[in-house]
Amino acid sequence: MEESGATMRKWEDLDTDILVQIFQTFDIFELTSGIAHVCSAWRMACCDPLLWKTLDLSALESNFIRIPLEPYVYVHCQSDKEVTRLLKIALDLSRGSIQTLIFHFNLYLSDEQLTYTAERCPLVKRIVMPAWNRIKKTGICRAINMWPHLESMTMPSIANPPYLLEEISKNCKNFSKLKIMGPFDIFFASSLVLYIPKLKVLSLRCSVIFKDALITILDKLQDLEVLNISHCILIEACPSPLLKRVVKEIDPFIMDKANRLREFLVCMNDSCVMCQRARSDEGLMRWYKYEKGLWKSDEARSLAL
Amino acid sequence: MSSSSSSSSSPPCPKKMITLKSSDGETFEIEEIAALQSKTLENMIDENCASTPIPLPNVKGKILAKVVEFCTKHAEAGADAETLRAWDAEFVGVEHAIVFDYILAANFLEIPTLLDLACESVAEMIKGKTPDEIRKFFNINNAFSPEEEEDVRRQNQWAFE
Repeated sequence: MEESGATMRKWEDLDTDILVQIFQTFDIFELTSGIAHVCSAWRMACCDPLLWKTLDLSALESNFIRIPLEPYVYVHCQSDKEVTRLLKIALDLSRGSIQTLIFHFNLYLSDEQLTYTAERCPLVKRIVMPAWNRIKKTGICRAINMWPHLESMTMPSIANPPYLLEEISKNCKNFSKLKIMGPFDIFFASSLVLYIPKLKVLSLRCSVIFKDALITILDKLQDLEVLNISHCILIEACPSPLLKRVVKEIDPFIMDKANRLREFLVCMNDSCVMCQRARSDEGLMRWYKYEKGLWKSDEARSLAL
Repeated sequence: MSSSSSSSSSPPCPKKMITLKSSDGETFEIEEIAALQSKTLENMIDENCASTPIPLPNVKGKILAKVVEFCTKHAEAGADAETLRAWDAEFVGVEHAIVFDYILAANFLEIPTLLDLACESVAEMIKGKTPDEIRKFFNINNAFSPEEEEDVRRQNQWAFE
């Protein structure tokens, strides 16, 4: 019996499980590049929930330029279209199975793209979205409204947190983990205490933190288990003539309060590369300067990627 | 590898041979320890069904020979990971029709290492090809229902509806 050619093998009749196993090694670009368009059986395998627990778009960045006015970025039209196309195909194949959404810090989703995505991921438990430049308050609230199962969010720092945190407190009963990639002040801290008092894990790594904000969360977030302030610049307001000064080490007063935490992750070390970088970037990490994927790390394991 | 709970079980004797019989009547000998790579065979050995040649009606002789070769190689003690990887790469560096047969055999015999290897190699064959190229390569008939055709057409639109 000769085995020439593929005429004797029915690739479209392979067990769905086997097809799914083959497709499991594909990244999002490969998954959406057309294997779902090969034949009916392959399309069915492409829709298997096993392939869609996580939608990881962290290899996708917008083609953009910085501009001096809000929203401070301008995304080229073609780039937007490509993101839209990818989202459409992926969300269509995912059939609502997605539980984790990951976006790159240079992927500037529009309000429309976010809404479109949120509508098609009702089971989302975790969202990593560091760039909100083009997203309006109504947009993010609309999305939060569609994610009742949300537990974990990675976000940029925002000037006016209450509206967001209130929306989360109303809609996301299981919300417990937050990572903020940017400055953390007393306003943010108080808002957290007011709206997300049951927060369990908080990461503020590589940013600017104000000392009064830190003390507030240590005092008032009673359910907090893990706090990560590694490589942060800790700032204390002082009486004049200096308006504020950088705190060089965690004093015993703070360490004492942090004792009740399961994990208090700190790194304030002049010889630490990350600490040096945070200092030179003045607390607003320019992740694009550093190793690819570095932004994904977190000493708090549940917030790492 | 096998955790048999029967009181008469003993650790696999390295030189004990099992005989397998392919769908086209060929017989092959395989060391018991190598045969344990297959969960299907492991179960049969555990239940002491392995004294007579085991018939494998789903596997042709030509493929069974290669499967025996694979299991024997992977049961070898002291093989370093890199050499094994290189050997594996050569093993699946064959016509995709043969890899297809490996997949079916590995699935039937429940040999995870071989299934993983074969699936990975198919994945590599697929990557980078357009749907048309994939269909030609694997000789797949593009039979979509009208609804599915509509889905595909919709997805290629640039703008939101």
